[in-house]
Amino acid sequence: MDFESPDVMKDFPGLYASEIHKTKSNDPEYSDDAEKVTKKDILIGKRKDKKDKKDKERGYAALEGESSAEESYEVRSPSKSKKSKSFKFPTKSREKREKSREKDKEVTEKKKDKDKRTDKKIEKDKEKCKLEKKEKRIKSEDWCDIGEVLPIFGVSLKLAIEHGRCHDGIDLPVPVRACIEYIEDYGLSFENVYKVSGPKSKVLHLKKLYNQREHVNLLDYDVPTVTSLLKMFLRDLPEPVFTSDLLIRFEEAGAILNVAVREKHLKILVGNLPESNRLLLSWIIVHLYNVTLNERCNKMNVQNIALCLSSTLQTSQRLLTSLLFHCPALFPNTVLEHYVYPLTSTSQLPDDPEVMEQELLKQESLLAQIHSEMNVGFISKQREELLWEVQRIITQLKRKLKTAHKDREMLFEKIDEQHVEETVENEAERSTTPTISSEAEVQSECVEETRVIETDATAEAPVSDAKLSDSSSCEKSSLKEVEPPEVPVSVPENKLLNNALALLQIKNTFLNNLKESF
Amino acid sequence: MSKKPVTQPALHKVIMVGSGGVGKSALTLQFMYDEFVEDYEPTKADSYRKKILLDGEEVQIDILDTAGQEDYAAIRDNYFRSGEGFLCIFSITEDESFQATQDFREQILRVKNDENIPFLLVGNKCDLEERRKVTYQEASDRAKQWGVTYVETSAKTREHVDKVFFDLMREIRARKMEENKTNNGRGKDKNKRKKIKCVIL
Ligand SMILES: Nc1nc2c(ncn2[C@@H]2O[C@H](COP(=O)(O)OP(=O)(O)O)[C@@H](O)[C@H]2O)c(=O)[nH]1
Ligand SMILES: [Mg+2]
Repeated sequence: MDFESPDVMKDFPGLYASEIHKTKSNDPEYSDDAEKVTKKDILIGKRKDKKDKKDKERGYAALEGESSAEESYEVRSPSKSKKSKSFKFPTKSREKREKSREKDKEVTEKKKDKDKRTDKKIEKDKEKCKLEKKEKRIKSEDWCDIGEVLPIFGVSLKLAIEHGRCHDGIDLPVPVRACIEYIEDYGLSFENVYKVSGPKSKVLHLKKLYNQREHVNLLDYDVPTVTSLLKMFLRDLPEPVFTSDLLIRFEEAGAILNVAVREKHLKILVGNLPESNRLLLSWIIVHLYNVTLNERCNKMNVQNIALCLSSTLQTSQRLLTSLLFHCPALFPNTVLEHYVYPLTSTSQLPDDPEVMEQELLKQESLLAQIHSEMNVGFISKQREELLWEVQRIITQLKRKLKTAHKDREMLFEKIDEQHVEETVENEAERSTTPTISSEAEVQSECVEETRVIETDATAEAPVSDAKLSDSSSCEKSSLKEVEPPEVPVSVPENKLLNNALALLQIKNTFLNNLKESF
Repeated sequence: MSKKPVTQPALHKVIMVGSGGVGKSALTLQFMYDEFVEDYEPTKADSYRKKILLDGEEVQIDILDTAGQEDYAAIRDNYFRSGEGFLCIFSITEDESFQATQDFREQILRVKNDENIPFLLVGNKCDLEERRKVTYQEASDRAKQWGVTYVETSAKTREHVDKVFFDLMREIRARKMEENKTNNGRGKDKNKRKKIKCVIL
């Protein structure tokens, strides 16, 4: 099959561009029911389905609820949901029936062997049923699927970012980050990347996992599946990434013949985009640009990429070609940073205060998201577990940061003290006979901190904690002439610094051990 | 994945509630790390986990230390809902904090919908006897009215700190065992009925 030839589009009308129409039509294979179902449907018509799902979740929660953090991590792993799916291509409505039957069977089977163990939990669930009935109407959404009420796919970019938030401050939806990361790592030399589509069933399955906030490991999938997933996300955006308002002006700018003028206009337009649109566009274009840079391996030059993705991006090939051509100028500062998920309680906490601060921000972002999801009614044992776990990590991070800051303060104080001490020694050497000088050195060694602190007040040295006093010092008078920062870093100071650092490290390992023992 | 919970130590979830400054964090930190912090740092929410021996049985306790004066009720409810036992703290040196316990009790009952939820009324700062504003009698009367135990503690001297946590955990454990028993007694078809009930909802 000649993928290079544009004729391929005629032979496979559903392959690229026309997929967009397919999605918009009612083809049951591509339109997943999630989007077609209203909240009311969810609450009434699909109750049974919901309930099954719920029970499944509860079932896990019952097993993992009282277990170690290690296992609660497993709850977030993709394995369970993957197992329960088959990748067939059944026809139309039959598929749905089969699916639900399959599901029912599965659930009953699962229930059977879990019944004994979940007795207690079911009792609790029942109580919860009652309780939630009494609570606000919205709470009954507990029985529906978060992926159907707060999906990441098929909603506005703003909502997609909110629902699938990356907690590292780069506000793109998780699947976008994940797909780009994956393709950058494994797809750049894949022949006909973005041209070859992945199996729809797998793509839809991935979409579902993301919508349901399941942990997804894209490494279990191949390049075409992942590129198709990213394309699906972009295609499902209700508004083009260029925004409806600016799209025409983008098109006009992309058509300008004069290269310099074109670049200037595109630059201005990019600057006019809302922040999240600009971010998404920059990532997409920079990424696609990287793909075209590997044209020799993947056979995808600018024209091919523009051909394959213009309809996905709801734009013309010409505009896309222009954007790729001007990519380095338009997005000079875009770095496709890997997204590292917030830590779980099984992972070691970082030791570097700066990394700790970053992690703290991530965890707090995650916590806020859990709260907001719970506040609209998505309350499950699993989510509650997660809430406590994240809260615990935040508390630990804060405590660890506090100790780290304290340690650092102490370290600085020590260094400052050492500065003064050095000065004192230098002065002593300069102003006295060798014999006395060595005496002074010996003395300074035994008296150590005390003497230095005493001199502090006079010397205006940055030592602040002058609590102890010792009158043994005799160099006071000469100190004023010495500026402590000018003293070159000497061996003993380095030694002290190293010692302090070693001490810090020991303390950290000790803290980690302590943490583990909990 | 199908590891039986038997191999896992039981986990009890305890929530500290009470006005700001009564010593919720101080009690928590004293219990967790045997430390007493003099300076007052308002808490938003903190959670801790500790392995302990409860009457010879290894259990885990999760403690959630909350903020006193809550303007974020929604967040609080998310925690209250998942709490299995509550320590309701006031300071014996501050009558207002004692009055506030009534509100906390109500909030908890509203969220948990359970009069018998494991719950202790705790009068903290009992080392400051000379500044006492709430009498022992007053407090224990209220506790009696609620059907709960009243204990006086000092996060500073560590008096009764372990006691309140352990007593509460015993209550939680007893509660769980009770739930288990009713469950096992009624057997399997009971579960099936429950299942159907949930569907009806
Ligand atoms: N004397 C005394 N002071 C206490 C006691 N418990 C807490 N404090 C002090 O009361 C202040 C507030 O305590 P904190 O635990 O932060 O209150 P929280 O807002 O309820 O968490 C801090 O300055 C503590 O040192 C206690 O038992 N005795
Ligand atoms: Mg506090």
